[in-house]
Amino acid sequence: MSSLSSKSAQEISALLDEYGIKHGPVVDSTRSLYEKKLKEAMSKGKKAKQSPDKTYYREEEEEVTYVYRTPVRSDGAGDRQSYSSYSRPKPEYRGRDYAEEPYMYDTPSTYSRNSTLKSTPMKSGQDTATAPQSSRLIPLWVQFVFFLAVAVFLYIVFSSMETNESLKGLE
Amino acid sequence: MSSTSQKHRDFVAEPMGEKGVMALAGIGEVLGKRLEEKGFDKAYVVLGQFLVLKKDEELFRDWLKDTCGANSKQQGDCYGCLKEWCDAFL
Repeated sequence: MSSLSSKSAQEISALLDEYGIKHGPVVDSTRSLYEKKLKEAMSKGKKAKQSPDKTYYREEEEEVTYVYRTPVRSDGAGDRQSYSSYSRPKPEYRGRDYAEEPYMYDTPSTYSRNSTLKSTPMKSGQDTATAPQSSRLIPLWVQFVFFLAVAVFLYIVFSSMETNESLKGLE
Repeated sequence: MSSTSQKHRDFVAEPMGEKGVMALAGIGEVLGKRLEEKGFDKAYVVLGQFLVLKKDEELFRDWLKDTCGANSKQQGDCYGCLKEWCDAFL
């Protein structure tokens, strides 16, 4: 990044707008103040620059991170080309596809769409950390609650079967 | 009334004219000297800076702190003084 003091007043003004810093005209008496504010904003790494591109990219990242999960479950990194039926991936299933059978068919479809984006291998544990919550079809917590409800229901069924006849009927 | 000092009330009561920078509330001898050294030798020059910063409190406070080392109370007093003066006369 070039030195702030070499920039023109208009450039400083544009930078202040990018970082969302409220400001007046950049004149001699205000310049040093604004340069200082910009330095602070830059060092904090405020993400106010070019947000539209970034959100798109982040969505892509979500899809991409979804890819890394599947190599753990299945083999190969480019085998599933035949499942490309879904245009929009569902990254929220990333943690659930192991437990909830009906959703498993989604994983290869989204996977195949993304295999072209990035093929560099990364750790599978990263997807849960890097992919943020996106407003997809079903929120993550709903799935979690559903899973818990199913588990509780099964437990109740199992325990009620026990009390009738002590394990004889189960065999 | 109890929250503003006599200095504040004196300053806000009339057009500032050629009053020195030490007439501003919050600006005493030490800060006044520092401001004068930087070229802000009259109250209206500080007013000019206040207006160029669009009368924004945070910007003005930061500027005052950087320019003469005013603490939070002094910044607040000076800002309040100038703001009220502007409300009355500008």
